[in-house]
Amino acid sequence: MNKKSKGLIPPGLAYVADNIISKQNLLGAPRGTGAKWAKKLDLPKEAETVFFAGCGYQYNTSLQSLMSIIRKLDKSPIGAELPMGLAGFQKKLGFDPAQVYRRLVARDKDSDAQPLRDAVKVLQNLGVEFGYLAEDEPCCGGILHYIGLEKEFARNAQSLYDKIKARGVKRIIGIVPSCTYTLAELLPEHVPGYDLEVKHFLQVVLERIKDRELRFPREVKMAYHDPCQLSRYLGLIEEPRSILKSIKGIELVEPGWTYGEWSTCCGGGGGFEVVFPELSQILAANRAKELLETGAQIIVTHCPGCVMQLEEGLKTLKIKDVEVLDLAQVVAMAMGV
Amino acid sequence: MSAFGEYKKEIMNAAHNERIRLALSRAIKRYRANVDKALKEFPQTAKLAEEVREIKEKAIGQMDKLAEQACQVIEANHGKAYIARTADDALNIIGGLVGSGKLIVKAKSMTSEEIGLREHLEEGGNEVYETDLGEFIVQKLGSRPMHILAPAVHVPKEDVAKLFSEITGQELPADVEVLVATARKLLREKFFKADIGISGANVVAADTGSLFLIENEGNIRLTTSAPPVHIALVGMEKLVPTLDEAWKVAQVTWRYANYTIPQYISIVSGPSSTGDIEKVITYGAHGPGEFHVIFLDGGRTELAKHTGLSQVLYCLRCGGCLYECPVFGVTAGHFGDKYFAGVGAVWAAMITGDREKAASLAYTCLTCGRCKVRCPMKIDVPQMVVELRKLLAEGT
Repeated sequence: MNKKSKGLIPPGLAYVADNIISKQNLLGAPRGTGAKWAKKLDLPKEAETVFFAGCGYQYNTSLQSLMSIIRKLDKSPIGAELPMGLAGFQKKLGFDPAQVYRRLVARDKDSDAQPLRDAVKVLQNLGVEFGYLAEDEPCCGGILHYIGLEKEFARNAQSLYDKIKARGVKRIIGIVPSCTYTLAELLPEHVPGYDLEVKHFLQVVLERIKDRELRFPREVKMAYHDPCQLSRYLGLIEEPRSILKSIKGIELVEPGWTYGEWSTCCGGGGGFEVVFPELSQILAANRAKELLETGAQIIVTHCPGCVMQLEEGLKTLKIKDVEVLDLAQVVAMAMGV
Repeated sequence: MSAFGEYKKEIMNAAHNERIRLALSRAIKRYRANVDKALKEFPQTAKLAEEVREIKEKAIGQMDKLAEQACQVIEANHGKAYIARTADDALNIIGGLVGSGKLIVKAKSMTSEEIGLREHLEEGGNEVYETDLGEFIVQKLGSRPMHILAPAVHVPKEDVAKLFSEITGQELPADVEVLVATARKLLREKFFKADIGISGANVVAADTGSLFLIENEGNIRLTTSAPPVHIALVGMEKLVPTLDEAWKVAQVTWRYANYTIPQYISIVSGPSSTGDIEKVITYGAHGPGEFHVIFLDGGRTELAKHTGLSQVLYCLRCGGCLYECPVFGVTAGHFGDKYFAGVGAVWAAMITGDREKAASLAYTCLTCGRCKVRCPMKIDVPQMVVELRKLLAEGT
């Protein structure tokens, strides 16, 4: 990055980019902290098929606390003076990122990265054999592409491919929509001879779930929120709906016409929430409102960013009796795993 | 405060403005219902849109040639035609034709907004009236257009009533019919007193030099026919090779602009003429005796060479994408420059050349892609925005 052009990247995003480049995760957390969720699952590290967990779910708790700090700062008078200087915010207000990481490392609560644990259990229950690279899982680097740092993205792409290939991996099961799209669609453009077969969790589940008897623990109305990268980027619109419809006890409801390819963004696209935290919150509330109009008791989606945004949206609207769940959690509950 | 800081403050103010949100939520709901109706009643439109995309792809690659062809045909038809390489060239040409001390009526034109034509003519000592109702409101508010087709999309009727009450000195109710009638009364005599009428065009056929003007109000008809002189400013990307192709572009444009059937479609190819007395062709019968067309390049031919961004020139300016943009839905045209949202970001970078503004807009795009689903030309706005961020971030 040269100095002159760096000025045209909002510093919030420059900060995220630096984290990926230096620490291989969005948050800049010490290497390996993200893999803690899988400690008790005993997944093999050597396998031809690996589960790609991605940053979003793994760092979910600390991203959430970081976002709430960013939101508060954005509304404070300092926010107007230093609209983008995230690193500056931290110094100025004595916020210490290292503390967040320490807290994260010390934490081992069940709620952390629950969708990942559930996804793993679902895949295992369906008889899928796979491993997990744990602390050696590289960052997909997708956000570098969306920031516009194409050279850094290309470098990251090649190094990711080399690392994964060196482990003998042939197939990837992705779960974070953005990571999956990056691995499946963006990397082949940058890595000559790219031959990793990438499937999304939903596709793997749908193939094997067909003759299963699934029942959700209670009768509920659920509204499904399509993440942009799943519906409009990866074209996975029918798959999540087929899965939800196959689960007894769930009544799937749709928000007017804003579903499928017409779904409204949760307001957290491509790093937007870091640059415009307050606006992002307004958009999250608007989307939550559309989903609430269905009368749903549970909002189900399938993206760590959307989960975070929609929870924030409900909080803004002061709605306490509607829950946001990830689709992996819903399937796990229906399987009883 | 940094340029970005100021921009951010502007869009946050807009996002907190209840009036904007009220007006937009009403407009978006109506747009969706109208466009659904138009596409349902004319189901062939989607296929026609695919054809138009091919027409535009072909035309954008040969804008220069088409502009020259159109100029020759217009001149042969006793009009005057000009190719302006830059915005300044266009201002100089039009400024020269207009002079000063004139009364001008103007139809809505985003291209004139792009080059700051109204302000330029006013500074030159002319009196300029915007005659499109929305544009008239925006002009009187001292604001700027907030949507390409519905410039006053951000102003609820209650605010229009307040504005028109101030102008007329009468207490007017927030009744849309009364407000429309007031505008009609205020502008009526201007059309007939005006020295010059200025318009844009929605699409131009190069083989006949014909300008297509789509509207509902009737102000374009009056602007382009009542005054003795008609000047049209047209971006070169509006040119297509033939009259048949222009007709297709026009249909797709109005249906996605949520007009099932537009009330008026004017096709203007030259000055008014008659040969009714002894077959002697005389110009300036009932319509304008002078017809001038200025084709503006202003960076368009350069932009056409850019593989990642040239698709922005396929834009028909139907405005459909804006109604689908979640950010536009709360900020209106504050998420924009001369043009709005993702398309506006590319335009700011490549045509008006304001890199800082372009960066602000480019990073305001969610890259969520719903605009692309709506776009009749299937312009891949997220891909284009990422391409633009690449240029801005890597400085290449």
